Amino acid sequence: MASAFAVPPSPPAITPLLAPDRANGAAIRAALAYMVVGLGTFLLLGLLGLLMRLDQGGLIVIPPAWFYRIMTLHGAGMVATILLAALGGLAAAVSATTRLKARVLWIALILHLIGTGFVILTTLVGGFGAGWTVLYPLPSHGDIWPLSAAIAMYVGYLFIALGLLVYCLHMLYALARAHGGLANVLALRYLFSFGRDTRSALPRPPELIAAVISIDGIAAATSGVVYLIPMFAHAAGVTSVNALFAKNAVLLFGHTMANLSIYVTAGLVYAALPTFTGRPWRTTWAVVCAWDLIIILMLANYSHHLYADFAQPLGLQLLAELGSYAVALPSFIVTVVGALTLIYRSAIRWTVAPTLLMLGIWGWVLGGIGAVLDATIPVNQVMHNTMWVPAHFHTYYLLGAVAFAWGYLFYMVRELTADRDARMVRVAAWLYGIGGAGFILMLFVAGGHSVPRRYAVHLPQWQVYARIAVPFVLLLALGLAWFSWDLGTRFRAAWRGTQSAESKP
Amino acid sequence: MIEPKVILEIFIILGVIWTAGCAVVVARSRRAMPLQQLEGAEARLRVGLLGGLGGVAIALFFLTLHWLPYAKARRAELGSPEVTVTVTAVQWSWILSRHQVPADVAVEFTVTTRDVNHDFAIYDPNGRLLTQVQAMPGYTNRLLYAFHAPGTYTVRCLEYCGLGHHLMTVPLTVTASPK
Repeated sequence: MASAFAVPPSPPAITPLLAPDRANGAAIRAALAYMVVGLGTFLLLGLLGLLMRLDQGGLIVIPPAWFYRIMTLHGAGMVATILLAALGGLAAAVSATTRLKARVLWIALILHLIGTGFVILTTLVGGFGAGWTVLYPLPSHGDIWPLSAAIAMYVGYLFIALGLLVYCLHMLYALARAHGGLANVLALRYLFSFGRDTRSALPRPPELIAAVISIDGIAAATSGVVYLIPMFAHAAGVTSVNALFAKNAVLLFGHTMANLSIYVTAGLVYAALPTFTGRPWRTTWAVVCAWDLIIILMLANYSHHLYADFAQPLGLQLLAELGSYAVALPSFIVTVVGALTLIYRSAIRWTVAPTLLMLGIWGWVLGGIGAVLDATIPVNQVMHNTMWVPAHFHTYYLLGAVAFAWGYLFYMVRELTADRDARMVRVAAWLYGIGGAGFILMLFVAGGHSVPRRYAVHLPQWQVYARIAVPFVLLLALGLAWFSWDLGTRFRAAWRGTQSAESKP
Repeated sequence: MIEPKVILEIFIILGVIWTAGCAVVVARSRRAMPLQQLEGAEARLRVGLLGGLGGVAIALFFLTLHWLPYAKARRAELGSPEVTVTVTAVQWSWILSRHQVPADVAVEFTVTTRDVNHDFAIYDPNGRLLTQVQAMPGYTNRLLYAFHAPGTYTVRCLEYCGLGHHLMTVPLTVTASPK
């Protein structure tokens, strides 16, 4: 077992974001576009979330038809846009040492934006409100919204899946080329020799993580296409679809997309945190083992959302419970403990970026606790599709992945402008954290009181939870507005910082 | 059955412990110490966590096998059902073969749908979720449950099923035990 924690042969130094010759400037510009579009869209979709909480608190009245359209746009948009921001950050982190083609990154972004455009149009204009899970056969059933609206939603998802596919294929290709094969990027020889075989240079953690999430991203995109093909056929009246198969396929797609965000942004922590602590994050055997395991474990746990589908084979139900427990272990034991070790007694200066990264570590684990409890079958019996479900995923999104992404964007801007972050912006991070914590706590409390999720109208006894949450959401919004203002004033300088000397005006 | 509020309490306790752990790390982040001095402790912590959390996970997994909500496990606990209620979901109402069931006997709900996915969820008179099962197109799911107190319970839909989703409720009366 001792070799499992052996020090790797050549500890890498802390890698700067921008290559000395700025050769990765074009890739970083594409990455900045991903992050700005992703986090900007996140702000707008967050306002829709506030509207829904105001409605559920009885403070405003949104007609149910509009509530469910907003709910659909909020859900689909958030999953896609947070992943977009995360992928942008990861491309920047990887580009420091691996040559990525900016043109391919832009193509993937355009595909993503086309897909997002379809989702926005079909919900706000087309009247589509079947939820982001587009659970068969609801999207194309009945005449609540036109069939064309369901088809437009599917087309939107298809473009988003294609965008993800292009990004992941390019990332894998670039990493494999740089490291002499995929096995080297995943450090498989080092893994299976228990750290003894060090003939191949080990990847940096962001590179390893990029390879892992690209493999799962390809699996997610493929399952999305596998789901969408019969959906198109059904919409065309060609065939009916087995409901259980459809549920498995769409959750493999959607749940993995959601999971990817947190794992991609965890990669950003590996890339950025060492620069603040002055300690390198090495590719140890434990890091390799944990992340290689994630490839399988991330795909094995989606079906904990199907515990209440008694038709699902029992073996898959039990596998989902085991998989849900198992996926938490490497993340906590290796990534979270590794991050805390890096911080402990490091003389870190708590500027806005590391504050947000620390907030993200806290939120990720907190959301994970809620998720693991809900992934326990008897617990799920009394928690499934109550507010507990949005509680746990809002925690690891808002206080985990999104906090990581904002933190990484602050890090990028600091690196590209050579400016020190203003001390006062730390206050915005605290506003974000306190507002977010109050908001998600009220979701958990509502879940503990069996309040159903996805209800346009809440009973009077349920409204108190949303009403208490609203001031916290306003704090959160204030923090986000501050982030946006601060980054907005420095963004042009950061963009110019990516350009080589000769291309500058 | 497991109480939702107990789960909330467990979550809050674990959350407070975790928050305290993070606070300690942050509070001790200011004074520098060489990373090499921490590596041994980190490795021991990881091994301890792997053993501890892994052990808890395995124990929890085997423990939950006794509390599975599926028909075979529930039949082993409650015995064969004495009352059967057929449940059909349709946007946006529930069709029940009977609206009264006795307390303290095993009741089997055979649940299906005529249109889209729904979720047959039973709330007690205090608004606490007791149990649930999905109503799936093309499938009949069997849910066994024994009510322990008479009263007016409420069936709600917990799978989003369209614009009338939140309106999809029906009362279910549990009468005094015949035993």
